[in-house]
Amino acid sequence: MGSVVRNALNSIKEKGITNFFRELRQQGYLNALLDGNLMQTKIHNIGATLVGVDKFGNKYYENLKVQYGRHRWVEYASKTRYNASQVPPEWHGWLHFITDRTGDELLRLKPSRYGAEHRENLTGQGDEYIYHSKGHALNSGQRDWTRYESWQPTKP
Amino acid sequence: MGLSLLASRALRLSRIPSRATQIFLRPIVSTRDLNTPEPATSAAPPPPPPPHRHPVGGARVHFPTPDDAIEVFVDGFAVKIPKGFTVLQACEVAGVDIPRFCYHDRLSIAGNCRMCLVEVEKSPKPVASCAMPALPGMKIKTDTPIAKKAREGVMEFLLMNHPLDCPICDQGGECDLQDQSMAFGSDRGRFTEMKRSVVDKNLGPLVKTVMTRCIQCTRCVRFASEIAGVQDLGMLGRGSGEEIGTYVEKLMTSELSGNVIDICPVGALTSKPFAFKARNWELKGTETIDVTDAVGSNIRIDSRGPEVMRVLPRLNEDINEEWISDKTRFFYDGLKRQRLNDPMIRGPDGRFKTVSWRDALAIVAEVVNQVKPEEIVGVAGKLSDAESMIVLKDFLNKMGSNNIWCEGNGPNPNADLRSGYIMNTSISGLEQADAFLLVGTQPRVEAAMVNARIRKTVRATHAKVGYIGPPTDFNYDHQNLGTSPQTLVEIAEGRHPFSATLANAKNPVIILGAGIFERMDKDAIFTVVNAIAKKHNVVRPDWNGLNTLLINAAQAAALDLGLVPESDRSIESAKFIYLMGADDVSLEKLPNDAFVVYQGHHGDRSVYRANVILPASAFTEKEGTYANTEGCAQTTLPAVPIVGDARDDWKIIRALSEVAGIQLPYDSLGGIRSRIRTVAPNLLEIDERVPATFSNSLRPESSQKIKPEPFGVTVENFYMTDAITRASKIMAQCSALLKK
Repeated sequence: MGSVVRNALNSIKEKGITNFFRELRQQGYLNALLDGNLMQTKIHNIGATLVGVDKFGNKYYENLKVQYGRHRWVEYASKTRYNASQVPPEWHGWLHFITDRTGDELLRLKPSRYGAEHRENLTGQGDEYIYHSKGHALNSGQRDWTRYESWQPTKP
Repeated sequence: MGLSLLASRALRLSRIPSRATQIFLRPIVSTRDLNTPEPATSAAPPPPPPPHRHPVGGARVHFPTPDDAIEVFVDGFAVKIPKGFTVLQACEVAGVDIPRFCYHDRLSIAGNCRMCLVEVEKSPKPVASCAMPALPGMKIKTDTPIAKKAREGVMEFLLMNHPLDCPICDQGGECDLQDQSMAFGSDRGRFTEMKRSVVDKNLGPLVKTVMTRCIQCTRCVRFASEIAGVQDLGMLGRGSGEEIGTYVEKLMTSELSGNVIDICPVGALTSKPFAFKARNWELKGTETIDVTDAVGSNIRIDSRGPEVMRVLPRLNEDINEEWISDKTRFFYDGLKRQRLNDPMIRGPDGRFKTVSWRDALAIVAEVVNQVKPEEIVGVAGKLSDAESMIVLKDFLNKMGSNNIWCEGNGPNPNADLRSGYIMNTSISGLEQADAFLLVGTQPRVEAAMVNARIRKTVRATHAKVGYIGPPTDFNYDHQNLGTSPQTLVEIAEGRHPFSATLANAKNPVIILGAGIFERMDKDAIFTVVNAIAKKHNVVRPDWNGLNTLLINAAQAAALDLGLVPESDRSIESAKFIYLMGADDVSLEKLPNDAFVVYQGHHGDRSVYRANVILPASAFTEKEGTYANTEGCAQTTLPAVPIVGDARDDWKIIRALSEVAGIQLPYDSLGGIRSRIRTVAPNLLEIDERVPATFSNSLRPESSQKIKPEPFGVTVENFYMTDAITRASKIMAQCSALLKK
């Protein structure tokens, strides 16, 4: 605990008090005061190794000294609205002990040639996020059902 | 296959098959009873005579000479057939449908698929019924174990080299091989070796080939050489190396090439534009007629939803038999392009602007009421139906104008004598002819089905064909007698050697092309032709061989309805011109201040000169009567819905008449037809050919002088003749690749 305070004092000295507090907010320490989950994650992070950061900014930690089965975890990039579906598939396996290869290794091993970009589950986030099938009145990419081409007067 | 395997097979065969071994050996045929087929004669109790069955397809048998009837027994049931029938035909008369692949009614007999094997009593082996002449008293068995086993065996051999790609085959669902293997084949296969594969051939933009699927029935080869008259296809190789192809890489340049798609019993030849577009069970068939030429071929339009997916021929022995030309079969993609779907008005800035029907009709009515009656002109297009033409004529007549005609009929058509503009012999009647004189007509491009009929006649009876006109491509033997009407005069005066041929002919036929209508000296030509006809007895009570071959679907009906302009110079003084789908009328002489209304379904040529565009329906979307070149009235039926905001032709003019304040007295198709009844009752005799009442010899002799200028080519491009075919991409491809 003493080292934490010393590190904090050191960084205040380096960056100045404003920058220190801005960084504190960005890294979610202010949210952690009200959010027990985040606070617990932050406390866990002390002494853990940062294994990797995915393309969304989620940080993956590992600490082999804690109880087996609780030794890998993620600190989500979003400090306010986070949920498990924000973990991309390449890190999912590592996080859930399916594989020991980290997401970065998996991407190196098998570059994705096709497939849709990972999106978090936006259920309950509003009408604009709900999936509408082709031809649905609310689908913005409406399919054109016209089966003929009309004559265009501007063409010669 | 290893030697030991062969040895063990030989050993197994030498053993007498017992019940026990049958469990371990795979049976040769699936049906247990067929394992040891015995000739049907050994069956002890004679079965009771089967009930009377009707001929396949409700066909009727025609006995040319009643004395030549012979009697054969099919499955124990006696049938009378004329001499010269094959066993297969005898079975069809008896109502038994024999499976077949290579046999086709209209082609020569090949007898190479062996699918039609039947048992004939006292014959040691099953016989191929399609190639076996029926003899008196023959006892044919079609339902015996031997016949069934023979079919099952043949089917197994056919399927040996046939790929199992029905799920990706366009013929799937309408494939003879598929159907017959279900009905007559075995339910299991013994085939473990590799299948052969054949390189696909490129037959052009219309016919797609997957030659691995070919079962070498040679129907396409026989069709090409016998009906289409092009020696393009042939058989190469022997045994399992046998394949159909053009000997050197070559496209199939026939105007009937699409028919090989229909006659191919498997999916080896399929339609290229239709490939992978639809399955045949998704399609709705509408029996209608074709309007891209004046033949009026009977077609079936297969549509899915609002789209025409393909066009297939319909059997009509009098007009197109069971063939259609490539233009008829493949123009349909033109129906989906360049469509007019909204009424438009050309603004003062020269740009078109979409308006409502109310506004468009109001403007037309305002203008038509302002101009003088004699300055109003109407032109019906080549695709117009009789109903809309009579409505247009009535509308303009009520406005006080009589300047209305149908394009293609020339500057001052003669509608007085119906025999002067229709094909008096009738298309099927051409088969009785033994000498043809083609005057200024190229039937191969003007009316491909008529040309096929002439070719059939020439092939069957070696009829002589004389042709006067520019050098052109014929697919039968002909003599080019000359290029100008001067040759006609020589024939009329008996100075030409061909007049001897005409004199010797029993049923001579003279066919005049519709291109003559455009000539200034057409009356003189008709006079000369009448003289030839009189001299060589072309028109008799029992034979009328004096014909005119029209090129447009609307022409005959327009002349029947009397669409004849008052003056042949009306277009030069017109202030208001109503074009009902007329795209080939020359508007160069039209005054610049003339108001042009274009009513039609395609933005083709005339639409660029139009002031108001009224969108109308194409022939696939409306019910309309068309008279073909032989004067047979037929109707189209709507196959697909009308596109956009378009309306039927007659409805537009009817609405316009109301807005213009001179309401026409009918408001339904029935009402228009009763109006037609007073003008041309023959147009209401649907599907019945009404011959002309008065002979063409009544035509007054013209004092015109024949001009020496040679006959021209009427149809420059077979594939693109009207607004629909000009909009078609497939037809554009065809004319780029196949036009000679």
